[in-house]
Amino acid sequence: MPNKEQEVLLRVEHLCQYFKMTKAVDDVNFDIKRGEVFGLVGESGCGKTTTGRSVIRIYDITSGSIYFKGKRICAGTRSYEQAIRAARKELKKSDEEVPASRKEELKKEIAENRKKIKAAKYDHQNSDKEYAKELQEKLKADYEKAKEENKNNPEALKKLAADFKQDMYVAKHSKLITKIQMIFQDPIASLNPRMTVKEIISEGLVINGIKDQAYIDEEVYKILELVGLTREHAGRYPHEFSGGQRQRIGIARAVIMHPDLLIADEPISALDVSIQAQIINLLNELRSELGLTIMFIAHDLSVVKYFSDRIGVMYFGKMVELASSDELFAHPLHPYTKSLLSAIPLPDPHAEKRRQRITYNPLESHDYSVNKPTMREIKPGHFVYCNDEEEVQLKKELGL
Amino acid sequence: MDKILEVKNLSVGFRTTHGTVKAVRDISFDLERGKTLAIVGESGSGKSVTSKAIIGILAGNSIVESGEILYDGNDLLRITEDEMHKIRGDKISMIFQDPLSSLNPIVKIGKQITEAMLLKNKANRKEARRAFNAMLAELKKNIIEACGKESEARVSALSKKLDDICIQATKLDNSYTEAFNKANELIANIEDLIYKAGKKQNVYVVGAIREYKKELAKVKDEFLTAKYDARIAESIASLNSVVKAAAAANNTKNEMPEEVEKALRGVQNLLKEVTAQTKPDFFRIALYYLDNNLVEVKNVSSVEELNAKALTYLNDNFMKEFLSYADNGVEHSFKKALENKKLVLEQIPALRAFFEGEFTQKNAMARCKEMSKLIASSIDRLEIIKDSAAYAFEASLSNAIERFFSCQVGNRKEEARFARQSKRRERLVARGRKVEWKVVPKNVYSVSMLRENILTVINRIEERYTAYIANAETVDFDQRAIEMVDYFKARAAETVYRVTKSMAKEQAIKLMEEVGIHEPRTRFYQYPFEFSGGMRQRIVIAIALAANPDILICDEPTTALDVTIQAQILELINNLKKERNLSVIFITHDLGVVANMADDIAVMYAGKIVEYGTADDIFYDPRHPYTWALLSSMPDLETTEKLDAIPGTPPNMIYPPVGDAFADRNKFALKIDFEQQPPFFEVTKTHKAATWLLHPDAPKAEVPQIITDRIARMKKAGGAQHAE
Repeated sequence: MPNKEQEVLLRVEHLCQYFKMTKAVDDVNFDIKRGEVFGLVGESGCGKTTTGRSVIRIYDITSGSIYFKGKRICAGTRSYEQAIRAARKELKKSDEEVPASRKEELKKEIAENRKKIKAAKYDHQNSDKEYAKELQEKLKADYEKAKEENKNNPEALKKLAADFKQDMYVAKHSKLITKIQMIFQDPIASLNPRMTVKEIISEGLVINGIKDQAYIDEEVYKILELVGLTREHAGRYPHEFSGGQRQRIGIARAVIMHPDLLIADEPISALDVSIQAQIINLLNELRSELGLTIMFIAHDLSVVKYFSDRIGVMYFGKMVELASSDELFAHPLHPYTKSLLSAIPLPDPHAEKRRQRITYNPLESHDYSVNKPTMREIKPGHFVYCNDEEEVQLKKELGL
Repeated sequence: MDKILEVKNLSVGFRTTHGTVKAVRDISFDLERGKTLAIVGESGSGKSVTSKAIIGILAGNSIVESGEILYDGNDLLRITEDEMHKIRGDKISMIFQDPLSSLNPIVKIGKQITEAMLLKNKANRKEARRAFNAMLAELKKNIIEACGKESEARVSALSKKLDDICIQATKLDNSYTEAFNKANELIANIEDLIYKAGKKQNVYVVGAIREYKKELAKVKDEFLTAKYDARIAESIASLNSVVKAAAAANNTKNEMPEEVEKALRGVQNLLKEVTAQTKPDFFRIALYYLDNNLVEVKNVSSVEELNAKALTYLNDNFMKEFLSYADNGVEHSFKKALENKKLVLEQIPALRAFFEGEFTQKNAMARCKEMSKLIASSIDRLEIIKDSAAYAFEASLSNAIERFFSCQVGNRKEEARFARQSKRRERLVARGRKVEWKVVPKNVYSVSMLRENILTVINRIEERYTAYIANAETVDFDQRAIEMVDYFKARAAETVYRVTKSMAKEQAIKLMEEVGIHEPRTRFYQYPFEFSGGMRQRIVIAIALAANPDILICDEPTTALDVTIQAQILELINNLKKERNLSVIFITHDLGVVANMADDIAVMYAGKIVEYGTADDIFYDPRHPYTWALLSSMPDLETTEKLDAIPGTPPNMIYPPVGDAFADRNKFALKIDFEQQPPFFEVTKTHKAATWLLHPDAPKAEVPQIITDRIARMKKAGGAQHAE
């Protein structure tokens, strides 16, 4: 369960992902702590899948930064470029309009932003290399230590040298990003029909430079049993499995890399009702056994509520509310969250007949012409996208 | 209650290379008028196949193994494709899961909505005329039989007169509606033009007004515009001058001068005044109009007066006499049918005895034919509401007989199948493969069950006829004769009703507004890709409603949509259902969605209905383990404990399980579940479930904690409502 003292595993800062003119994700901030399940909900097209894909670097992000285990793995440069452009425009103006002191400042700003761009580009390209270097250095240090300890044992030294060579090879090829894995929505489309289950599951290991076939086999069998399949399944092809089993294969493929963070992009919405519960239970078991952190993207609110510790609500590329799941469902503050919660169908005919659906129209609900909204903490751990006026009002609503 | 659709013992299979997949196995349910029936189940449970069987769009490799679907005197499984055309889309409409795949991507949505209206209208007109003629001939025949040969001349004259009246009424109505529609169209067009000009769109004002001038001249009917002719001429003149002025000013820009708009608004107001008049009753006026000259007809102050005057004239000169004759005819037909019905009832015990004893196929078929002939003669053809049981008797009975012989023990085909499957299984086992399926034993259908099917058909007709004879005393023939005239009137009106393209457009725009699409006038000309998912589904609903159907089948209409849109669409369907008294069959796998919509719920698993009841029964008192599993496998907002997942996967339907299909995945399964299929056990009158757990000898099974907790919670939250 979430704890204040917990380590932040993933931090997303000012993430923007634009596709030409479309702002798919616009200035999103959140962090995920180790061991928790972070739910991301919103209607289709609100950018929740894009957020997930940006985190795992399927897209190059437009601006903002993503930190994983304290290292910047993704960085975009658009915001810095814009700052430079604005500063240059101001510089071009005549001396009467902009005083000389201000111009000096602007020049400094441009230089600073240039530096930032350089740093961002470096981090974006070299985070994996740095990680590999770190690993190698650590291995080397360990090796030196071991060598010192086994000075008088030539056989052990020989073995150590061989192991070291293999480990160095793996470390050289390892990437930080493989510690983030993804499960996809459609288990049919995401598995290669021409590969056996073993090939599919072990592909990640092979790419990472592991050549020991016996080790790979053992890992695959171990993981198959972990996700509720059997050894015999390893030699079969994806089409021989049912939907639920295919999704289990997808999960096995992600889990075999021993990831720290698992991004589950609507893992159950393409499955049958009776199978969905199986997969949710499996993810829950894996989470407690392996200590996984999960980013859970879904549009089925009751499942998200059941599964997640904290939930972020997205609307048109913006994160509009972020709170712990109990808090969010007990005290929804943003009008969009309220409308979303009021639309959940319940298995209770009488309650359904009494249900009042709330409609959300951003133009009616907010007046952002003067006072621009930002993400504000209304209550410890409960963030809402609002402006000053609304903040006061929301606080009143909560009785603070 | 009024049953609009009855599905009885429906079984559907699909031929595949591996064998026949038994998608639907012997299901029965009724749909009541104005109610929603929800069919719930996971994919492959046969819920979509059921709905597709109803509107006759099963895939080519499907076989309807048995059953009947009764609707409006027809068995939908046995009528020809031509007859099905009249029902599909017109009386029974369907909304599919994916709106994008049910819309044509390269046709504007306006055209897609109006297309069916225009095509159906033409077919309907012909059909109505045919029905009119057939009914009139039947009536004439009966009257002559009732009143003797000497009345023949008079009756012929009267029916000729009725025909004349209807035709005259048709003509008058045609001309009136045409002018009326022209006026309405003009109002809409002017609105359109002003709207477009207001939005600074590309319009050619002068040309448009010239067009309107011509159109305005066509708004002319002796009843509609008699008092307005002068003012219409005035308006035309004013438009003329305005056009001249505008043309002289060389107005080529896309703006509307103020005086032009004023003139157009004037025309619009005048037309609105014209269309606001009460419509005269042309059926009454027709005879008056035929026998008198026009001046006299027009020489009345108000429409009401004209209607009253015409009515007395019609009654004195035609209707009273016709009705007295029609009375006789209806009574005669009724009595004749009644006699025959009594005969049928007398025959039924013998027939039942025959089918309870030994019989051969040939024998039985002959007996069936004989009986069907008698039943055909016992149908009162002058009845306006058709009795499905009687009309479909022959098809139902002969089908049940055929099934009796084809599915029996000792049937050669069945033997061959069993031998083939056993051999195949043995071969696989010999090869060392693990075979998960079992060979279906030969006597899947016991003789007693097959015999029961035959007897059900007979019992049904007996039940209907007994009820009919019991009510025979209370029949009011005068009322029936009047109903008959109403029927003729309605058919004649259908023959008249002509839908033009612009009318269809107006209707489509009204529909689009009804389903909640904003600015329908601009949206009308857009392509499907320009709409969002929810809007597309609304358009699909509008198309389904265009023909004003009796039954709407929704096949997972909201699965592709997200929560907020889903709630909107469900609300929309609910409202439309109330407004139009629609009967809805709602297919889904999401029980949460069903709670909002359904009056009755059928839970399906592996091609069978396992539980059937009202929404309250299913949600507050579920009895079948599969329903428990469905309810407990999905979390709701309060769930914190581990979910009760259903283990395993649904069975292979090529080799359906011998016993209860759910037994393998059921933790409450008894030994008998693997050996024998459970029958329906009634819990209450409305609620039944097919599980051996309800058998009096069965051990007590506890409802899972997660469900009892939830129900307790819901009852607590519901408070007073549940106490009722």
